[in-house]
Amino acid sequence: MDKLLEVNNITFSIGTGGRRVLATGVLQEGGILNVCGPSGSGKTTLLRILARLRGPDEGQVFLRGKGWHDFTPSRWRRTVHYLAQKPVIFDGTVLANLKRPFELAAVTSDLKFNPEKALELMKRLLLPPELINQDARTLSGGESSRLALVRTILVEPDVLLLDEPIAALDPRAASAVLRLIAEWPREVGGRGVVLVSHIGELAKLPCLSVLDLEATEVLEPETKKDNPAGKEGDGVE
Amino acid sequence: MNSGVVPISDFNLALSVILVVVAGGISAALRLGLLKALIWGTARTFIQLTFIGYVLKYVFTVNNLWMIFGIVVLMCYVAARAAVKRTPGVPKYPVTLAFWSLLASTVLVGLVVVRVIINPAPWYTARIIIPIFGMILGNSMNGIALSLDRLYGESYARAGEIEALLAFGATPWEAIRGCVVDAMRAGMTPTINSLMVVGLVSLPGMMTGQILGGADPHEAVRYQIVVMLMIAAAVAIGCLLLVGFSYKRLFTADWALRSEILQSRR
Repeated sequence: MDKLLEVNNITFSIGTGGRRVLATGVLQEGGILNVCGPSGSGKTTLLRILARLRGPDEGQVFLRGKGWHDFTPSRWRRTVHYLAQKPVIFDGTVLANLKRPFELAAVTSDLKFNPEKALELMKRLLLPPELINQDARTLSGGESSRLALVRTILVEPDVLLLDEPIAALDPRAASAVLRLIAEWPREVGGRGVVLVSHIGELAKLPCLSVLDLEATEVLEPETKKDNPAGKEGDGVE
Repeated sequence: MNSGVVPISDFNLALSVILVVVAGGISAALRLGLLKALIWGTARTFIQLTFIGYVLKYVFTVNNLWMIFGIVVLMCYVAARAAVKRTPGVPKYPVTLAFWSLLASTVLVGLVVVRVIINPAPWYTARIIIPIFGMILGNSMNGIALSLDRLYGESYARAGEIEALLAFGATPWEAIRGCVVDAMRAGMTPTINSLMVVGLVSLPGMMTGQILGGADPHEAVRYQIVVMLMIAAAVAIGCLLLVGFSYKRLFTADWALRSEILQSRR
């Protein structure tokens, strides 16, 4: 297998105290990499850095051996796509939401919206097809988060950066999402997933570890308060 | 018909203080705590306007092009500063950008008005230029303050949406276009509304002034029409320039949303 994404000594600061954190790891093609580290250790921040939505202090990321600054920010994010934990819903119907990315030059330049594929993905994630003409703002939290995942998969990125994708889901929906996450990187060559989820550790996925550089500072243990929605997701195991 | 201005004598002007005494009496009786501000405000009104009266008289007499230009620039600067104070939610307010937006829109529209439409002799007649530019500025100042405030307000409120679009590979413009549209609308709506109701709900100050000054209402109306349209144009141009310059400041050089936009708004 080939290296898809290489995270090379990325350092960044988190919180108001400016604690410095180091992350290193390699995502293989077809693989899933789990970001390991306790709550509050900067896992979400790391995903945002990988998507270039904020800058690191130091370090580089390579996509198939090419440094990230060889890409325009637009090209990079279209290829290495970050999906936030809190689903973003645009005004309009579910269909309008799924089509929204296809109004962007970076997406339309190489891909057309495929309605059959949209319906098929919705089905895989247990979203009934009649939702398609419903106002997306009226969806439940769990439906919204799956809609956001469908929308993301439809634009066919190479690397998916998923932040707690099952946190808001009931067990049935969560297992459908997990199945999709497990199958998606292998469906076509050149794909991979970087995941932030407690499920990753349980599934013994390879780690992209986040280390606290201030050795004297001991990272706080995982607290429920940090991840209120996580309780529901716990039901999956 | 043209009877000219009915003059107000010094004695009669002093009598107008009675009106303030009434307001002061209400403030004292109800303990509104506004008495000091009222007295200070009254004094400032007398001093500032008397001063401006002398300045204008001097400027109108000299009527030097460069002096007029300097005054216009000064007015733009003061308007840009005043717009700052109306948008407390905008961090690191772009005063310079506001200044250039106001100057460009005002000069552009103002020149069309004084050179093409009114065209006095000479075209740089201070008596025409300064009130015209003042009216343009007063309105575009409000317009740009509203649109800038809305641009930042929308960006804070819709930071998640903007970032989601960026994550799909949107350019900053694609990601923020919705907020820019709302900001432009917010800046221009009051002006457009005033185009709808002018003359029905309110008689504009300028027209009222001309009529009090003894002008034929027909002439006053013609001026007012020009003024309304030039204000609409100046507000549109001013908002467009400022919002166009400003939206980029919400993003980093790497096309990411600035971190303060993702945080709580103080």
